[in-house]
Amino acid sequence: MLKTVVKFLILTEAFTVVTFAGGWWGVPMVALIWGLSEGPRARPVLLASICAAAAWGSLLLLDAARGPLGEVAARFGGVMGMSPLALYAITLLLATLLSWSASVVGAEIRRAVLALRARSKSPVSEPAPAPNAPEVAVMDA
Amino acid sequence: MRAGIAAVVLAALLFMGFRPVGQLPAIGRLLDPANGVWATAKAADLPVTEQGSIPGLGRDVEVLFDDRGVPHIFAATEEDAYRALGYVMARDRLFQMELQTRAANGRLTEWIGSKALDADRRTRALGLEWGAERKIAAYDRSSPGFRAISAYADGVNAWIAGMRPRDLPMEYRLLGVKPGKWEPIYSVNFFAKMALTLAFNDATYNRLAGQAKVGRAAADALFPVNSPIQEPIQPNGQRAARYDLAALPPPGAPDSAAVVALAAHRSILAALGVPKPNVNGDALGSNNWAVAPKRTAAGYALLAGDPHLELTLPSIWYEMHIVVPGRLDVAGVGFPGVPGVIIGFNRNVAWTFTNTGSDVNDYYGEVVDDTLHPTRYKVDGAWRSLEQRVETYRDQAGSVIRTDTLYFTHRGPMTRQLGKWISMRWTALEPSDEQTNFLKLGYSRNANEWLDAMSGYIAPTQNGLVADRTGNIAIRSTGSYPIRPGDGRGDVIRDGSASASDWTGYLAPSRYPFAMNPAQGYLASANQQPVDPRINRSFIGSDWYSPWRAMRINSLLRADSAVTPDAMRRFQTDPGSARADAFVPQFLAAAAREDSAGRSDATLREAARLLSQWDRRYTKDNRRAVLFEMAMEQLAQRTWDELSPGEARTAGGEVVNLPESQVLLELMQTPSSPWWDDRRTPGVVETRDEIVTASLRAALVAARRIHGDPAGDGWLWSNVRHANIYHLAHIPALSALGVPVQGGPSTLSPSGGKGTEGPSWRMVVELGPDVRAWATYPGGQSGNPASPRYKDRLALWSTGRLAPVLFPKTPAELDRKRVISTLRLVPR
Repeated sequence: MLKTVVKFLILTEAFTVVTFAGGWWGVPMVALIWGLSEGPRARPVLLASICAAAAWGSLLLLDAARGPLGEVAARFGGVMGMSPLALYAITLLLATLLSWSASVVGAEIRRAVLALRARSKSPVSEPAPAPNAPEVAVMDA
Repeated sequence: MRAGIAAVVLAALLFMGFRPVGQLPAIGRLLDPANGVWATAKAADLPVTEQGSIPGLGRDVEVLFDDRGVPHIFAATEEDAYRALGYVMARDRLFQMELQTRAANGRLTEWIGSKALDADRRTRALGLEWGAERKIAAYDRSSPGFRAISAYADGVNAWIAGMRPRDLPMEYRLLGVKPGKWEPIYSVNFFAKMALTLAFNDATYNRLAGQAKVGRAAADALFPVNSPIQEPIQPNGQRAARYDLAALPPPGAPDSAAVVALAAHRSILAALGVPKPNVNGDALGSNNWAVAPKRTAAGYALLAGDPHLELTLPSIWYEMHIVVPGRLDVAGVGFPGVPGVIIGFNRNVAWTFTNTGSDVNDYYGEVVDDTLHPTRYKVDGAWRSLEQRVETYRDQAGSVIRTDTLYFTHRGPMTRQLGKWISMRWTALEPSDEQTNFLKLGYSRNANEWLDAMSGYIAPTQNGLVADRTGNIAIRSTGSYPIRPGDGRGDVIRDGSASASDWTGYLAPSRYPFAMNPAQGYLASANQQPVDPRINRSFIGSDWYSPWRAMRINSLLRADSAVTPDAMRRFQTDPGSARADAFVPQFLAAAAREDSAGRSDATLREAARLLSQWDRRYTKDNRRAVLFEMAMEQLAQRTWDELSPGEARTAGGEVVNLPESQVLLELMQTPSSPWWDDRRTPGVVETRDEIVTASLRAALVAARRIHGDPAGDGWLWSNVRHANIYHLAHIPALSALGVPVQGGPSTLSPSGGKGTEGPSWRMVVELGPDVRAWATYPGGQSGNPASPRYKDRLALWSTGRLAPVLFPKTPAELDRKRVISTLRLVPR
């Protein structure tokens, strides 16, 4: 549990910092790296999605503390033809989707690389490792 | 499967994040909470303290923002002050500045692509950019104007260079563009754009259109050189308006030559991108007046400024106060994109302007050596080389999307219309330095120095009004008025192959309409004919606005021998109407005559009863003004049916502006004029009273249909007319629409049909021992739609109130409780 909380905090912080320093595209970058390191399991992907939303949510709170965010939402929402609430939701959804998709892709890349590696180490006649290969399970243990 | 979906989603999000899709901007950059549109929340409020740097700054500059968002700039030199002004204006209004510039120099395609190509091509064909380049090339590099626009550009560019992500205005994000470098010529571009708004006279079009349908004599009477109601700016010694009413010549046969000229002229207007002829009443007019000390309660001169322009968010104006100790101490409003105060006051003098509306553009049919690709044009039998200019239009990516070759004669831009080459001369394209004229005003110590500072001013012609602390008041219609050969009129297309067609010079300033300290003790202008033709017959224009606003303000000023600043403020939104005073009795008298003659009916009697209940005031809670306005509309349509679109089809399908209502009043004096005959009723010849009463009847029927019962709220004036203040990009969510206002057509605070034009800045100045001023405009100082300063002045403006203007001599004199932000600018 503690490990998950620590991961949550670190990952949220990472999303916040890269967004602040680099921009929105930092989210898929961090999520991709996260996916590469964690592999294709449900929980890490979910965590990345939540952390990205949390990071952007905290940045929005920071914006709200520094100026009339509600006015921005009202005006900009009006321009886009949607309610302010929908605009907040879409923003958080964007972070979530970016993080989810990038972490899944990262994890799949990792699996493919590991599978490739495993195949190159094995005799030609042996079958390729199946999905959910044992080494991933070992890491889970 | 999941991986496949994730990959597709990721690819789509990355694509949409980086690139716009259709109308949708790149959503990544837009929704990024640290650097996207959300971050603009931080920039919405001014920081309590901040420091910036500007290259070239000589000394530190202190800028204090008061609680109205007005920057008080304290600098050691004028150039430092304009650098600081460029910096703070860019901080508040960068998008507006760049948008206006791009509209004025034909570079909107670089922002929005081919959608703006037509507009850009027309702008450049009009010669606005060509003219601006000529002006800046002719500038004396040491002139105050050139030094100011250069310093101002330094300030704007310093702000742009130091912008943080949060500082990028929302509109740039929506367009997906970045601010470009600010060039000094952009300030000149802005003046060119204002000239297009104020100095592009459509009298030629009106006259030709009328002539094409009803012949020259009738057109001359419908669009006269001299107003039939004389209430001139330059007092003529009369205590009331003089009615020079004459019987109008009957409608004549269509003039086929005028039909051809009209078609060519219409094509020119379309090709040059000139706005459609004015069909929005005189909401684009302006008022100003000044009262001498002998007629004010406090014994100090008073001045009111009230320019009416397009109402936009952010406003066309930016309020400022500039102090250079020992040299300059000036406050008022200027245009974002231009350094300095245009309308305002200093410690001794206050000034303001209204548009003169003179005729300062002419057309010439040219003879060229090649119909499609000319290189020369002929004047007095000799060929002259055409100036050619290749214009390139680029899209957002910088790719060329179009090139045009433009041609210029010695007169100005030349375009091909209906197989003919026609050039245009326009004072606004002549080399000039309006910037220096306006900057010099701030140094004036009295009215005479102010008038001197305006000498040499060219365009757009303005009725400049000034009052000083010693009690002088003066007004002069200033600018270059071309002198034409022949009859001197500027409403025909002239023969370009003869130099004898050219302007022979400009009217001498001694012939300008002018008055100083008149016996009547006040001066006023409201875009009416400036001078009584019995006093000065020089041609400076035609088809003037009806003088209703002038008559109203003059009557208010005549009636008050102890005017106070608050009375000046009240006058600015006075709901009374000289037009209503003139026409309501006409309607009622016609209804009574028809009743006496037994030709009345219940509808007419009811309409007359309702109209007689009207106090002739356009207050928000008024329930009768709507009936009068609909009756006036009916009356104009029924009377001028000879000029109606239906008739127009026989003469080329051109739309004609209807004659001014002062001409309609003139016609009222002739009950059986052939103009009253409605040609849509063959076999019947109508009289004045039949048309007037038919209009009143029809108005009541229409008003009931549209607005319901006369006692209901549908007839409330506040439910009928509003101000509609659109964002510059016409984005409704960023606009203020349906703002209830007091006033109607031809009141001092006019409200046109669309509600998109009106009083853009209201100012009252008292020239006492200490100058005091009150002012406001519809909008706010900030261009950031999320800022509390975006439209914080709107409530004040819509209720006709003004805010006291702070005018401290030093930073220490400014009440610290009213300082919301301090900006220190240091040399870089």
